[in-house]
Amino acid sequence: MSWIREGELNLLEKISANILKAGPMPKHVAFIMDGNRRFARKKNMERQEGHMQGFNKLAETLRWCKHLNIPEVTVYAFSIENFKRTKDEVDGLMELAKQKFERLLEERDNLEKYGVCIRVLGDLNMLPHDLQQIIAKAVVTTRAHNKCFLNVCFAYTSRYEITNAVREMAWGVEQGRINASDVSEALLSECLYSNNSPNPDLLIRTSGEVRLSDFLLWQTSHSCLVFQSVLWPEYSFWNLCEAILQYQLSHKSIQKARDLHREHQTQLQLESDRACVEEHMQHHGNGKPVDTQRRQEAQLHYTACREERVQDFIDALKHKRDSFFTDLCSSAISA
Amino acid sequence: MALLYGLLWRLLLVLVHVNRALISWLRVWVKSWKGRLWERAMAALLLPLALAGFPDHQRKLNHNPDANANSATRNRIASRRSRWLSDGRSLEKLPVHIGLLVAEEEPSYTDIANLVVWCMAVGISYVSVYDNHGIFRKNNIRLLEEIVKQQQDLLGVEGSKYNVEFLSNGSDKHQHHVVSCRPIVKVLSPEDGKQSIVQAAQQLCRSVENKERSSKDISVSMLDALLRESKYIPDPELVVKFGPVNSTLGFLPWHIRLTEFISLPSHRDISYEDLFGILQRYGVCQQRLGQ
Repeated sequence: MSWIREGELNLLEKISANILKAGPMPKHVAFIMDGNRRFARKKNMERQEGHMQGFNKLAETLRWCKHLNIPEVTVYAFSIENFKRTKDEVDGLMELAKQKFERLLEERDNLEKYGVCIRVLGDLNMLPHDLQQIIAKAVVTTRAHNKCFLNVCFAYTSRYEITNAVREMAWGVEQGRINASDVSEALLSECLYSNNSPNPDLLIRTSGEVRLSDFLLWQTSHSCLVFQSVLWPEYSFWNLCEAILQYQLSHKSIQKARDLHREHQTQLQLESDRACVEEHMQHHGNGKPVDTQRRQEAQLHYTACREERVQDFIDALKHKRDSFFTDLCSSAISA
Repeated sequence: MALLYGLLWRLLLVLVHVNRALISWLRVWVKSWKGRLWERAMAALLLPLALAGFPDHQRKLNHNPDANANSATRNRIASRRSRWLSDGRSLEKLPVHIGLLVAEEEPSYTDIANLVVWCMAVGISYVSVYDNHGIFRKNNIRLLEEIVKQQQDLLGVEGSKYNVEFLSNGSDKHQHHVVSCRPIVKVLSPEDGKQSIVQAAQQLCRSVENKERSSKDISVSMLDALLRESKYIPDPELVVKFGPVNSTLGFLPWHIRLTEFISLPSHRDISYEDLFGILQRYGVCQQRLGQ
């Protein structure tokens, strides 16, 4: 089955979509596609068939999102915890992923036509080498596309992602690119796998579970969470509409909370800069009192320097990540 | 056309709001109706007793009202306390740590204090209270006073064995208001969320800066250890969210990995039955932990 579904919405769906679009729409929706195995059990199918149907539903959901003008979707495909499942099932899932990413490469032209950019978030090193290479190929091929974005979380947990971000920052410190005092909430966000995406506006979990299961914990702290009881392979356009409506109902309050948070963050950054300047002056000022104007100048100077340092580090990190994929990709070609 | 769709969208929102209001009104109505029914049933049961010459209520009113009222309240409190405790035991599982997330403007201290006391009475060891404006953090003394008061009202003087250890990070990190064993009430604000992760990250980066550690050594468990209190407090297994907003609003992102979220429309005038209903729902859910 293909990744890209063509075809329009039917009349009723189209009208409903237009009504919803009159309100604020989420720009980024995240899905925990739960319930494939329960669906298979319910329908007396093989487990693998349930996972298959789950993938098909994803392709369909992407089509709905396109019609609803939702440019970015993130899905939880495989958690690091899922490696604990039986070898049989893990192997099956890896095989499915391999097939699907191969299929994706075959659909290159279509992906270009719709401008679909695929990103894979997670620690690829945990995956079999051939799968790593195919994923890298898919990522590198679609890297320049910029109309819609699909982020696939594979070998991912949020705690691992946050830890990895801390590790990257520590790497920057080791390299002498940044100081430990430069570590901030904004910088940590830039070091996450998801650094290229805005935070999701809406997170949907199916199959009636009401927890996040280590998915995008950092990114969804001000997102609308919608838990729906339908199993993922049975997900319908109307379920999606209901979730969007929930988002629209919470939109104003969440926006307010976000603004509050952003204000607070700016304040903290200002305080941290001030403290750093203060410390610096105490070390180099020979105890002489400093007038307000000089202090202000010093602070502006410090802020500019810090921003430059941090930007330089972020560029280096991006380069490191990009070349990880490019190297994997070229090793696949030469092999 | 766009105008029409806009109008229709507004209409849709109004309909949803009306629907919500109707449901919550119905809930209150059913509750009060049930209450009245219960009262009437009790009255009907007690009537023959009263006629038979054991007018407990009357006696209380006629002779020596003070002493009797006192013992009656004490009895009532004792029976209530044992009922709550056995309620907690009757559940298949009970969270060790519960989070109360208030996503409403203008929190009501009395209702939150009631919730905290009920949670402790059914046997939950750690209760965290959170709001994204940091209101409870700012007024934590007021909340504490309210909790102590409700504790005495609901559990009586003997309820003081449920002493509260009141933790509240931030400026007064090492100042515990009442120190005893358990249960522990924690007042959380957004600073305990992402900001505490950033602080832990900074600490690790500093140790790398001082060449005490290599960046490669940093692991999930290391970060987790830093983000825990010195005392062992487990991650909250259950967060009850009050209010119409469907969001965690910055509630401890690191700690809610496996937390179950259950929503109630409001924390105002909340009853013990509402809380117990939530605990029952939590009691039956299963976690597969990736398997």
